[in-house]
Amino acid sequence: MGGAPRLGWLALLAGVALACGRSLTTAPAGELRVNIETGEPPTLDWNRASDWASILVIDQLMRGLTRLDAQLQAAPELAERWEALEGGRVWRFHLRGGVRWSDGEPLVAQQFADSWLRLLDPATGAVYAYSLFAIRGARGFNAGSAERAQVGVRAVDAATLEVELEAPLSFFPALVSFMATYPVRLDVIARHGERWTDPGHLVGVGPYVLESWRHDYRVVLRASAQWPRRPGSPERVVFHMVSDPATSLVLFEQGELDLVRIPPLEIRRYLGRPEHRSALQLYGYYYGFDTRRAPFDDARVRRAFAMALDREALVAVLHEGSRAWSAWLPPAMPAANAEIGVRFDPAGARALLREAGVEPAALGPVRLGFNNHPRHRLVAQKAQAMWRENLGVEVRLEPREWKVYLEELENDPPPLFRLGWGADYADPHGFMEVFTSHSANNHTGWGDARYDALIARAASAADFAERRALYDQAQRILCEQELPIAPLFAEARNWAVAPRVRGFAVSAMDQYFFDELELE
Amino acid sequence: VIRYAALRLLGALPVLWIAATATFGLLRFLPGGPFRGERTLPPEIQRNLEARYGLDRPLGQQYAAYLAGLLRGDLGPSYKYLGRDVRDVIADALPVSMQLGALALAIAGCGGIALGLAAGVRRGSALDRAIVLGTLAGVSLPSFVLGAALMLGVGLGLGWLPAGLWEGPAHAVLPALTLAALPLAYIAQLTRAQVIEVQGRDHVRTARAKGLSEPRVRRRHVLRNALLAVVTYFGPVLALLLTGSFVVEKIFAIPGMGGFFVSAVTDRDYPVVLGITLVYAALVVGSNLAVDLLYAWLDPRIRVAEPGA
Repeated sequence: MGGAPRLGWLALLAGVALACGRSLTTAPAGELRVNIETGEPPTLDWNRASDWASILVIDQLMRGLTRLDAQLQAAPELAERWEALEGGRVWRFHLRGGVRWSDGEPLVAQQFADSWLRLLDPATGAVYAYSLFAIRGARGFNAGSAERAQVGVRAVDAATLEVELEAPLSFFPALVSFMATYPVRLDVIARHGERWTDPGHLVGVGPYVLESWRHDYRVVLRASAQWPRRPGSPERVVFHMVSDPATSLVLFEQGELDLVRIPPLEIRRYLGRPEHRSALQLYGYYYGFDTRRAPFDDARVRRAFAMALDREALVAVLHEGSRAWSAWLPPAMPAANAEIGVRFDPAGARALLREAGVEPAALGPVRLGFNNHPRHRLVAQKAQAMWRENLGVEVRLEPREWKVYLEELENDPPPLFRLGWGADYADPHGFMEVFTSHSANNHTGWGDARYDALIARAASAADFAERRALYDQAQRILCEQELPIAPLFAEARNWAVAPRVRGFAVSAMDQYFFDELELE
Repeated sequence: VIRYAALRLLGALPVLWIAATATFGLLRFLPGGPFRGERTLPPEIQRNLEARYGLDRPLGQQYAAYLAGLLRGDLGPSYKYLGRDVRDVIADALPVSMQLGALALAIAGCGGIALGLAAGVRRGSALDRAIVLGTLAGVSLPSFVLGAALMLGVGLGLGWLPAGLWEGPAHAVLPALTLAALPLAYIAQLTRAQVIEVQGRDHVRTARAKGLSEPRVRRRHVLRNALLAVVTYFGPVLALLLTGSFVVEKIFAIPGMGGFFVSAVTDRDYPVVLGITLVYAALVVGSNLAVDLLYAWLDPRIRVAEPGA
């Protein structure tokens, strides 16, 4: 499926849907109907899940030691308090009393230790095993070079969990808000094997239980008897899996769905309407340079290319509310700094190229790789025009199928390439770590010992003001001096919310707890 | 007839084996594996994932294991949908696609033949011209346009029918019509052309001269002969319905097989791609066989020739 058919039929939609919107059914009382546009959640096993759809459902069924509050700080959830020992190398979590699983079994600290060891066990094949690599012995156990017993997690007693890390980590409580670290019941998994996440088998510690699951079509949750219910919160949550965004919007307008993402081309139509909600995500969109080869082995050339881009105009082609951003840490991230980055300056960019001894006409065509998606194509075409106009450099667009593109990035990246990064957890460390010299996600070939040292120091510093200063320094190296990448913008997510739903706000991590909403 | 069918079925096995082998080989030529994503995984995690599904073994061994599984009727696990076998995926999705396809086939077959007959016997009339024009539109209108128009017009605009989802018979109407439109138009055109041709043949004129009533002539001589050519077209129609289901199922949010057609390839979910290819290959082989048998039943000459064949 190319972009053309969808564009055509979205245009049709815009015309007809505006004029008429009519409901076939009345919404069932107490039922929240949410669309998962990415389709079927691949799994509800939180140790093994790695995608947005699975996480969205799991977050209604399960809770972890901590959770992120509106300011993206770790707040108590199943742990009522915690303390750092040995300067943040050892962490002790104290569980809230009286919490029960949906089958009535009490929650105990050992179930967290069970979960983390299962997550790290190489036989589990869990993508997010690396989210706990900070724990002593964890990486070795996952790689098969250390024993299970060497991993630094243990239940001191039924209500206390103690974790020993390789090195002090100030934001460890934020890491354990992540769903991969939610506790598990080994007895349930042993009884049902791979099928333990089926309706009737799955037990959780959270506001909802799994009632039914028709694959590729619908997941139904109902309120758990073991979890205190807020007045007015949905009794049932029904997830649909309408993968065509235009269809999901039609169903929303027909009153069949309460919560849907708005497809990019429809966002303008929703601007200013009460149903529209939007927020910037902890997601950065950038162009990278292959710094191993000419001409981008020269920082001045990279800088010139970054300065020749008018980010405001670039992001405007998408009409999705994303924000032009020249720093790496996205605006919603703690320690973000809008002052950092190079500004749009065509004359300065041309001067830099001359200084580097580069003749623009002799450069081209420079290849720009991206995965073939209408959004990326629009941005790439705009950037291509800007480079031609502002630098006199010819850029050739090279769209690729997604997996082909990923393989290319790993083995032989094009001189210019598009990529993005989304936060796993709401701490600057994960973002900044991407461009350390040892990171597998750094496809630029760039490495800088100063940068690496700053990131390592910031990870263990306890005081946030100190960390902020260190990240500022690192970001200036990354986005002002060296520029192995040109950050372009922070992405926005746009949702449409039915009037009967109250209290919905788009989260910067696109993470939702539906028991906090109210239904009319 | 039974021996003929059995022989044909036996002949289908090598076809399926070739389909499985070719797909297996082609998939592995595609760059990028199933566990690659925007974030590059640490090497030990990539290794653990590959080991879990036996992807760390030599390709020959993987192929042998896959064929051995096939013989046991085991299509392997999906790499993307954890804990689901390809068999489960197909068992969930295939009946839905079959229901939709059967409904569309019925609409296309009955509607197409009726329209073609009506147009053919009154060649040149206003009705004929209207049908010719309508079928031209049906052939040239892509299903994503027709589907969207039906969904927005009949579903959202008039509110007569559900605009999507798969809950009951009412939900099947718009997608079945969308899917049926193209084959319906083809069948109507074909039937019309055949009817016109057959009407001019000697045996029809003879029948009329014998004093048979016009409805009887049409039923016994015109329709039956005209249908022979139409039936041959049912094989390709089935293939058309199967491949067309991807767009229609996506537009109307129907949990059928169509979606896996594309997503399993883009996800590099090898076992799902293989399983679905095999199912489609079996369906095409089966439907061609069914058409041959139907043809034999309709055409006495083939029945007579059979013992010698």
